[in-house]
Amino acid sequence: MRRPRPWSPEAGYRAWIILPALFMLAFFVIPLGRVLFTSLSPADGIGLGAYQALFRDAVFSIVLLETLRIALMVTLGCLVLAYPVAYVVAELRGRWQRLALAMILLPFWTSAVIRSYAWLVIFQRQGPFNQVLLGLGVIDRPLRPLNSGLALDVGMLHIMLPFMLLPLLSAMWRIDRRLLLAASVLGAPPWRQFVHVYLRLSLPGVAAGCALVFITSLGFYITPALLGGSGTMMVSQLIYQQASRLLNWPLASASGSVLLILTSVLFVLYQRIGQPRTARRARPPVAGDVAEGRA
Amino acid sequence: MSRAPHLGWRLATIFTWLLLLFLVAPIVMVVPLSFSGNSFLEFPPTSWSTRWYAAFAGSLDYRQAVMNSVIVGLPVALLSSIFGTLAAIAIERGALPGRRILAALFVAPAIIPQMVLAIGLYPLMVQVGLIGSFPAVILGQTVICTPLVFLAVGAALRGYAPSYELAAMTLGAGRWHTFWLVTFPMIRPAVVIGFILAFTVSFDELILAMFLASPTTRTMPRLLWEQLTYEMTPTIAAATASILAATGVLLLVAAWVGRRSTVRLDAAP
Repeated sequence: MRRPRPWSPEAGYRAWIILPALFMLAFFVIPLGRVLFTSLSPADGIGLGAYQALFRDAVFSIVLLETLRIALMVTLGCLVLAYPVAYVVAELRGRWQRLALAMILLPFWTSAVIRSYAWLVIFQRQGPFNQVLLGLGVIDRPLRPLNSGLALDVGMLHIMLPFMLLPLLSAMWRIDRRLLLAASVLGAPPWRQFVHVYLRLSLPGVAAGCALVFITSLGFYITPALLGGSGTMMVSQLIYQQASRLLNWPLASASGSVLLILTSVLFVLYQRIGQPRTARRARPPVAGDVAEGRA
Repeated sequence: MSRAPHLGWRLATIFTWLLLLFLVAPIVMVVPLSFSGNSFLEFPPTSWSTRWYAAFAGSLDYRQAVMNSVIVGLPVALLSSIFGTLAAIAIERGALPGRRILAALFVAPAIIPQMVLAIGLYPLMVQVGLIGSFPAVILGQTVICTPLVFLAVGAALRGYAPSYELAAMTLGAGRWHTFWLVTFPMIRPAVVIGFILAFTVSFDELILAMFLASPTTRTMPRLLWEQLTYEMTPTIAAATASILAATGVLLLVAAWVGRRSTVRLDAAP
């Protein structure tokens, strides 16, 4: 049944979505749907049995809470460290800025396996970390950072920092410096210029960076497996264990579903943040707002 | 703000370069480590040699893993480029209904934990009889690499007005002519960058390879991972430094391509 449509340049491009959409349906949507479905159907018919088993055993709750705690700490740590750095890098010009960017992008595009491996070397018993501390006389016998969670915290911070720096930088580059000048002309002292103008305008970057770091941290497997020692376990490690060592797919799928739902909800929130603001909020603050402190 | 070099600013600058050093140092450290003459991992090395590179180059396992990574990585980059570009054009230029949801679908694989995707793909690949084969790894990794191309090409398409295509069509060019003569030349740098980034990510990907590959199709990260869990010789450092060099060259090429376009390598997902 073919009806001629009014000619439009858009119409033809619509069909281009079919091939990639089918691919995503087959190898992304269906596999994820399957995880959700498997979690509901242990041998004894559709039900929440796997979830009951999951939460009856204290292990899952502990691992989930630990994962959330680590993700939160990493997010806050990244924010505190990255904000002043992004601020300085946004002010840099010319080749210093290019150098700083290269130093952020090199780790961004280096594999997590390689970076975790590097930290493993640094934090091993005879590694540089212990050597330096012993040499400085801070400690008198080698620490075991791989078992205390220190190595994991540092490793994850290191891996996630570029994910915080880049959204912050892109927000800060967009800030119109004349607004700060305007605030200063209108008598705002430097701290007020910063808090009421710069900080406010950089908030979209803060929100995007935090969401990105938090969501990504929730799914970490490589770094905790290598640097977490025996004491720490994150959800992805538990899923791996349930699936490939215990071969308990309903249980693994239930853990996976919890992680999937959690990240999906956060991802939707992140998408909302990432969308262009409504016209009213997109309006750059004018000098009057700045003076009245509602920029 | 006047940038008089007062104390706070100086401290912030010092802090910035220290943190940037912290970001780079552990990665750079692998290079001297790989030239170590010691037979166990020690930093800084007390003697120097290239024997770990010889061990790396001479190892059949490593040679095969590098080959496998290329066999997997090129099709992944090609498929991701095709799917990502098609989706970006359809969504940016096609006035599709529900384009926000569709756009989210093409970004989500970069965010959703790979472990969850892996336990979803594994039974599927078993069912269709592909498990352990190259196509299984290729299809799986294409899912997580497509968003990179999609984002890069999407940004490029938003960077110029659709009136160019409209002009071509008004002058009588068909869809394919318009694409090859107008759209593609405009987005080519983005497609090339997307291709390189997809290859890089595939080359570094571990979790899907862990579930979907077999010992004969295992990729470099998976071999490294297996090595890491039972021995810690500097051979791993040599292998790692080689990957690092290859990644660095690819990213330099991407940066060079990006110099002439609006697409940036720092376009975070």
